[in-house]
Amino acid sequence: MRQSYTAVVERANPLSGEFATEPYETGWAREAVIFVKVREEPGDNVELRARVQISPDGIDWVDEGTTFPAIRRRGVYFVKVSNFGNWLRLAGRVTDPGAKIRALVYIALKE
Amino acid sequence: MDDLRRALLRADPRLSKFQPLSNIIFYDDFDEGLCGWTELIGNYEDSLEQVTDYPEAMDSRPPMLSSLTMHDTGTAGSFHGTYALKIATRARCGHLAKALKRITFRKKARVQCELYFTFKPEGAELKLGERDVRAIGVSYDLQDEACRYWPAIRFLNAEAGARIEKWQYHAGGTRLPHLDGWEDVPDGQQPLCYNEIATKQNWHYLRWLIDLRSREYLELQCNDRAWSLSGRAHAPLKAYPNLRTLFNVGFWVEAEVDKRCFLYVDSVLVSTEE
Repeated sequence: MRQSYTAVVERANPLSGEFATEPYETGWAREAVIFVKVREEPGDNVELRARVQISPDGIDWVDEGTTFPAIRRRGVYFVKVSNFGNWLRLAGRVTDPGAKIRALVYIALKE
Repeated sequence: MDDLRRALLRADPRLSKFQPLSNIIFYDDFDEGLCGWTELIGNYEDSLEQVTDYPEAMDSRPPMLSSLTMHDTGTAGSFHGTYALKIATRARCGHLAKALKRITFRKKARVQCELYFTFKPEGAELKLGERDVRAIGVSYDLQDEACRYWPAIRFLNAEAGARIEKWQYHAGGTRLPHLDGWEDVPDGQQPLCYNEIATKQNWHYLRWLIDLRSREYLELQCNDRAWSLSGRAHAPLKAYPNLRTLFNVGFWVEAEVDKRCFLYVDSVLVSTEE
């Protein structure tokens, strides 16, 4: 049976401004689905833009190339990634500088 | 039977590094996965923002499987194998990250927790960071027919910018996750092998024995030192609904500075007696 594990890498802090989730080690996994669950309507003209980042050491980060479509409404969104090495995180920006978006970010990993 | 059992334990390199009581409740080697270890969270109702208990535990961070991969030397691996359980704080002074495993007990008896662990701050600064981790600890959350109690031990590594390096036990306190109520283990000073740069990590052995009948601490051992804790206990709390025979085991790490701090556990064995 293949191992799998889902980590909730953001829940407590609303997303705002320029953000990046905490580093998460994923070296054991072959594939990942990253979910963003926006719990409340973000507000008029507020947009969440997010992209996947990888890292050789958990310290310095580089864009992996996968991006979410612009998120403007409450709902569940996802991207799929593979061949990501030992670390994953989600980086992004909330376009209205004063806005806060209540969201959960999940990394669903599988061997 | 005892001789046969001892021989079998000694013949298995995974188990021979432990000294279990007669019945192994669980043995988690994190090369096999997260084994039921998950993030601590406070209680809430109706929404995540409506916190009813333990507000300090609402951001305890998800545990992960780490290969201890460093920016300078790559993967170190764990004590035995490749992966260890990793608990990581945010880069914020005072932040506490905690993971736990939730089971139940079936007999009030002596219980022993053994683990191999190491801790370090994130290596981004290229400094040793020996005063960056405030504390690491091991805890139980227990409830019998009469009361709930929170025995815990911690290694207080640094505080108020100073290196402390001593063991403490949880004597009272009501704030999960173990933010108050600490007392020193008598003669509990112990400089641990911390090594010379942030990316070199040495593993440590910990053994901690308690008694579910008397609700008392019994013994603590780390590497070459052992202490009797007889007669000491965590002041019991009232029994809570829905928790009879609760047996949660937790590991945590607390940051002393605005830097991510990591606790790694290679493997853990919890045992009890007939």
